[in-house]
Amino acid sequence: MRVLIKRRVIAAAVVAGLCGSAADAATTITVAAFPALDAAVKAAIPLYKKLHPDVEIKLVSLAYADHHVAMTTSLATGANLPDVMAVEVGFIGKFAESGGLEDLGKPPYNAAQFKDKFARFTVPQATGPNGSLAAIPADIGPGTLLYRKDLMDKAGVTEADLTKSWESYIESGKKLKAATGAYLVASAADIKDIYIRSGLKDGEGVYFDKAGKSVVDTPRFVKAFELAKAAHTAGVDGKISAWSNEWSEGFKRGQIGTQMMGAWLAGHLQTWLAPNTKGAWRAAQLPAGAFASWGGSFYAIPTKAANKTEAWEFIKFLTLDKKMQIESFRKLDAFPALIEAQNDPFIDQPIDVLGGQKARQLWKVAAEKIPAIDVDKYDSIAQEIVNAELEKVIEQNKDIPKALADAKALIERRARRR
Amino acid sequence: MEAPMSIDRSGAAAPAKSRRRLQPWEWAPYVFISPFFILFLCFGLFPLLFSVWLSFHSWDAATGLGGMTWVGIENYEFVLGDEWFHKSLFNTFWLAIASGLPQHLVAIPLAFFAHTYLAKYRNTVVGIYFLPFITSSVAIALVFNSLFSRDFGIVNVVLTSIGNFEVAGLHPLSWLFPTTNIDWGQPQYTKPMIAFVVFWRYVGWNTVLYLSALQTIPHDLYEAATIDGASRRQQFWYITLPLLKPMMFLAVTMTIIGNLQLFEEPFIITSGTGGLDQAGKTAAMHMYNTAFVDSDFGTASAVAWVLFMLIALLTVVNNKIFSQKD
Amino acid sequence: MAIVTKRVSPTRWFAYFTVAAGSIIMLAPFWFMFVFATHTNTEILSVPPPVWFGDAFIGNLNLLLDKLPFFWKNLGWSFYIAIAVTALNLFFCSLAGYAFAMYHFKYKERLFAVIMATVMLPSFVGMIPTALVMSWLGWMNQPKALIIPGACGAFGIFMMRQYISSAIPRELTEAARIDGCSEFGIYWRIVLPLITPALGTLGLVTFIGTWNNFAGPLIVIRDMEMFTVPLALRALQGTGQVPWGAISAGSAIAVLPLLVIFVISSRRLIAGLTSGAIKG
Repeated sequence: MRVLIKRRVIAAAVVAGLCGSAADAATTITVAAFPALDAAVKAAIPLYKKLHPDVEIKLVSLAYADHHVAMTTSLATGANLPDVMAVEVGFIGKFAESGGLEDLGKPPYNAAQFKDKFARFTVPQATGPNGSLAAIPADIGPGTLLYRKDLMDKAGVTEADLTKSWESYIESGKKLKAATGAYLVASAADIKDIYIRSGLKDGEGVYFDKAGKSVVDTPRFVKAFELAKAAHTAGVDGKISAWSNEWSEGFKRGQIGTQMMGAWLAGHLQTWLAPNTKGAWRAAQLPAGAFASWGGSFYAIPTKAANKTEAWEFIKFLTLDKKMQIESFRKLDAFPALIEAQNDPFIDQPIDVLGGQKARQLWKVAAEKIPAIDVDKYDSIAQEIVNAELEKVIEQNKDIPKALADAKALIERRARRR
Repeated sequence: MEAPMSIDRSGAAAPAKSRRRLQPWEWAPYVFISPFFILFLCFGLFPLLFSVWLSFHSWDAATGLGGMTWVGIENYEFVLGDEWFHKSLFNTFWLAIASGLPQHLVAIPLAFFAHTYLAKYRNTVVGIYFLPFITSSVAIALVFNSLFSRDFGIVNVVLTSIGNFEVAGLHPLSWLFPTTNIDWGQPQYTKPMIAFVVFWRYVGWNTVLYLSALQTIPHDLYEAATIDGASRRQQFWYITLPLLKPMMFLAVTMTIIGNLQLFEEPFIITSGTGGLDQAGKTAAMHMYNTAFVDSDFGTASAVAWVLFMLIALLTVVNNKIFSQKD
Repeated sequence: MAIVTKRVSPTRWFAYFTVAAGSIIMLAPFWFMFVFATHTNTEILSVPPPVWFGDAFIGNLNLLLDKLPFFWKNLGWSFYIAIAVTALNLFFCSLAGYAFAMYHFKYKERLFAVIMATVMLPSFVGMIPTALVMSWLGWMNQPKALIIPGACGAFGIFMMRQYISSAIPRELTEAARIDGCSEFGIYWRIVLPLITPALGTLGLVTFIGTWNNFAGPLIVIRDMEMFTVPLALRALQGTGQVPWGAISAGSAIAVLPLLVIFVISSRRLIAGLTSGAIKG
């Protein structure tokens, strides 16, 4: 390491000696990100420096929640703002509405012209209420159903059984439980989460309608709650929350038969969640023709950033450069938002953990079909309230219409400042 | 610093007295306490006033300073009538008592025991009890999630094996201990679990406080008591406890203030959500979430001030209780 | 203690046993932190978790240094800031505590109440205005933004006042004053040497608190080279994909200095025992 530093110092000294004035003119741009997106930025830096030797890039990485707390503070005070700000989809609604980010649709950026280059559901997410384009999509998480082929075979369950309809999905779970003892799904809330997102059209919101009224008492939610409850009554849910130790252990021990999540979960399963189950998994589209996305990252430029021009160049490199997008697709398994990059031959590569299945083709199809759902800054509150009510329905047998009516009242009370 | 000094001068130079020179012991204490006030004026006062101002506004911080709208006392009305805030207050008090009381009930005897009976290993033992206080919170989260795992966690293994303990076909302990695995994520278990972690983390700290106070008690007091025939227990009740009172006041005050602002442990254990049914969400967590998750900084400031009033009230009560017995 | 006991009673055996059993509970998480530092993620997330050391420490350390190239530097900053804050607190807090404990002066009670009131305000709302102050001063991204505001904590003053008023008789300072000792001299030569146990405790808790401080650095430090250790370790925690092994290794390294400090200050506590005896 010390050698490396020494070398860098020498190199810097040489460069400075050769072109003293040029070195003075070098600008440094700061990029604030969070893991695992920071790895993509890290990978991009050397490539970008080859093209722009006069730009220094400094990366600041913080945990997901901390990053957004720090960014909120920076936007509030106008201090410590990065030039390039990574924003996760969960915060993009709030940040896009805040007005603290540059409208990239306007000159000098004119990013509106690139809209069609990205997975279709992404751009509307980054669009503020007044039509401003607050950020550019970098990666996406098309939803998929991962299932244990070996366990399903044992239970005599086919992929079609799992995906035909929700009823058939839950029915398969009973067979699975009987034959192998494994749970169909880690948490019944997963079923609810996907059901409330299915059948939505472009521009519709999950929890709110266009007028900002809560829609959690509509049949879509009633049915979602009924399905989740049915799964629980059938005993096919493990009541295990994602990312817990039990979750990981459940995968390792083959106690969880299916998991619906972003396509990136396959990579996690292989590298550390349950490496021992390599090859036993397969991917399918979500049950009952649902399409949804998990996570996704964007890059934005704060209005008060110091080096907007350089920041924009770097964002273009990260999001619009096909080679760069393919690079992070290949190396980091970040599913590209850039459609061109989705056409890379890498999409046809077999995936080990999925027994050699070429699942990325499947995910590409999903990415095209995910509706452009309208995000609302109160989505996270609504989600929290709905989850709490579902818990009451499942654990305490609360009446579903009552639970949803309560949820609606609570949501409207908390979203009082619309 | 300037303010208190000038106040003092006007007081000292009262008309009745002749203009005598101030004695060093008259002005020195003001100089000695001035650093705190200077720092407070520079760094503390503004944030304080800002948050008062903010509590009368509607503000999403991401919009920048220009985005504030005056709403009068609406935030306070909302907070005082807010079910979530009430619940978080209830949780906070529950946790404050359930984790705070045992801390002192254990720390005092433990400190006494270590001070009296453990000569050679005293520092080692106290050191071990102090370890949770210095362990990083990341490690705590990891370990506790693992220990309290429903299906595979060691806590459930121990509890159920006691519950299923069998003597001649009977389960004598099944009424007290569980016989099947407990789902620690369920709301009724969240608070006890957090209380345990808080107790675990701070009991050593209180022990150290009490131990350092025990060391100021002169030995000859005990020697005299022994000569007079007082038993160890009598010495504890009639010598140690009364002389520990100042430290008890300090430690209890710290616990009250700390526990009513409890944030880190419940935040870690419930991964920031407060747990199912918000069973582990404290008032400080509620405030944090209102500010940084819901982006409602005005309401969050109002929560802070309501909480401040409550803490201040309790501290005054605590003050009264301790000063009464004098 | 000088008391010699001939027979150990059953009650005492019970006490010994309870204290020993409690020690295991107290030690466990600490033990696991070191054990986890030597295991891979997959092993750590198994249930039951590993209880004995594995062989992945070097791997974890390399991963840590790869993800956090400035880790040693971060450790250095943490040291610098924690030592500076602790030293300033020991001095300023004991000085102010001495004033509150040993002097009569106008508005004493009220000023003390103001100090106490400041610790009762929950801190998160202060984050944004504090960031504003720091950016007005131009202190963003500088260690002094963490050192100077924290140089004199209210808790420390409270603790010192409490300790000094119970441990030092007022006659002692008055005698020194009659002997011609200056006010600061009384503090420096008479009071300070007598309050070493409390200084040890305050130093310890200040050091630990500063060392583990997270919210402060989060809003004022932007440069990863200038991060403190908790900030750096938190930077590793993504959603789901968290290198727990590397984080445990980092936490274990970060806790070692605290351990050393504790051993040193527990010596201080012993020293306190003897100075207490002088007084008696």
